Amino acid sequence: MNKILKYFVAFFSLIIIFLGTEVTYLSFQNKHKEEKNIFVKSIGLPDLSISTEVRYIRHRSLSDIFSIFNEDPVSFSHYLTTFVYAPSNVVNITPNTIKVH
Amino acid sequence: MKQLFNLFLFEYALSSLKRRGAKNIFILIIFFILIFLLSCVFFISNSIKYELNLTLKSLPDIVMQKLQAGRVQNLNIDRISKIANIPGVSEVTPRVWGYYYFKNAGVNFSVVGVSRFSPNYKKSIQKIVNKFDKKIFDKSDTMIVGDGVKKTLEKNYYNKYFDFIEPNGGFKKVYIAGTFKGATSLESNDIILLSNKNARKIFGMKNNEATDITLRVPNPKEVAKIASKLELMYPDSRMITKNDLKISYNNIFDYKSGIFLAMFIIVLFTFFIIIYDKASGLSSDEKREIGVQKAVGWKIGDVILQKFYEASIISVVSFFLAIMFAIFYVYILDAPLIRDIFTGYSILKPAFKLPFIVDFQTIILIFFATVPLYLAATIIPSWVAATLEADEVIR
Repeated sequence: MNKILKYFVAFFSLIIIFLGTEVTYLSFQNKHKEEKNIFVKSIGLPDLSISTEVRYIRHRSLSDIFSIFNEDPVSFSHYLTTFVYAPSNVVNITPNTIKVH
Repeated sequence: MKQLFNLFLFEYALSSLKRRGAKNIFILIIFFILIFLLSCVFFISNSIKYELNLTLKSLPDIVMQKLQAGRVQNLNIDRISKIANIPGVSEVTPRVWGYYYFKNAGVNFSVVGVSRFSPNYKKSIQKIVNKFDKKIFDKSDTMIVGDGVKKTLEKNYYNKYFDFIEPNGGFKKVYIAGTFKGATSLESNDIILLSNKNARKIFGMKNNEATDITLRVPNPKEVAKIASKLELMYPDSRMITKNDLKISYNNIFDYKSGIFLAMFIIVLFTFFIIIYDKASGLSSDEKREIGVQKAVGWKIGDVILQKFYEASIISVVSFFLAIMFAIFYVYILDAPLIRDIFTGYSILKPAFKLPFIVDFQTIILIFFATVPLYLAATIIPSWVAATLEADEVIR
């Protein structure tokens, strides 16, 4: 085994050891599943408060088509997060039921 | 075994990489940045999806919203008794919620009303609230706020209470009884939880009005049937079932989204420039080296194997290095700079503590999208050069 190979093996092992430690450390971190579920149960609202800049991103899964095309029927919004998050399928659920008497 | 892995050739490949050090380090850095960026965005988006799905089971089974001219309107709570009579429905709750714009800070809070702070409700909510003041909480005009709301209010000198401005111009003083725990920050950052009575006052809503109605249906098989029954009963309303929410959560990042398209194009374009450079032929130096190797007795297989080792070392090292740094950057440093893409222009930014998940599918996807391509782009031109006669290559 020459010198370069020794350095290479040491370097590569270091990467793998660090990666393994990182993954093990993060896997054992508490995800606070119970607390989050208690919170969501008591509030009852979906979606995360990661972005609050637009209401149809903040409460994406309860939004309507009007809030997305707020400015104009052909003008899609221009916020940064609307570029990241796709509109929800829920906006297409519109009531159109015929009542049977 | 000797056929599969030749240690002497591997050592030679390492020395060969060292000889063209500057060029190979440059390729390694480009490769690293490319995989790092891709994996950071994938890690964040996967964690957001995971976080959403973590609490899916706690959401109401059906949400009823009244729509008028494409907009969500308040509905009358008279509907409740009729809905409660539907077999299979265990709980019907009229809900009052909406947004409150706080002009001083230029932020929108999500104000949520609860019907009453019953002993059971109080007990469960105490588990998720910090600095819980029971004395204040027992008063009628109290609220629990998210971390972000608390910080914003404190900045504006509202330490113990907040004056909401009602639609008629009057003030509504509400005391802060506690803050939601930091662990729920991704969900609770902008939330203000208070009584329905106060929420109605703040929004200027009548006592018989609600924003929407939520239903709990214990048997999941009955949800669709009950939703269609409700649609027939109230043709002006739409029903959002838990299944719709699940689909909505899973579609949060579709790959038509601009950010992913932009990332992919930039990253792949850079990558293909490297590949193009590699595949367009070897430099005369490299060709001469292959010629000399052949002249001293190397077989075509040996030359290809050496090139394969070289490319593998560069791509595999940069791949693992990039994944290692990406995990560190996203989950330990909380993704500075890149998190701004996901939070946007919003002023209320939650602590970006994302849950860690190892998504092998994504990691394998990134691996196969980059490493084999680079290997092929390195080996093919070497193979072309190695098949030529030694004197022809040297000349």
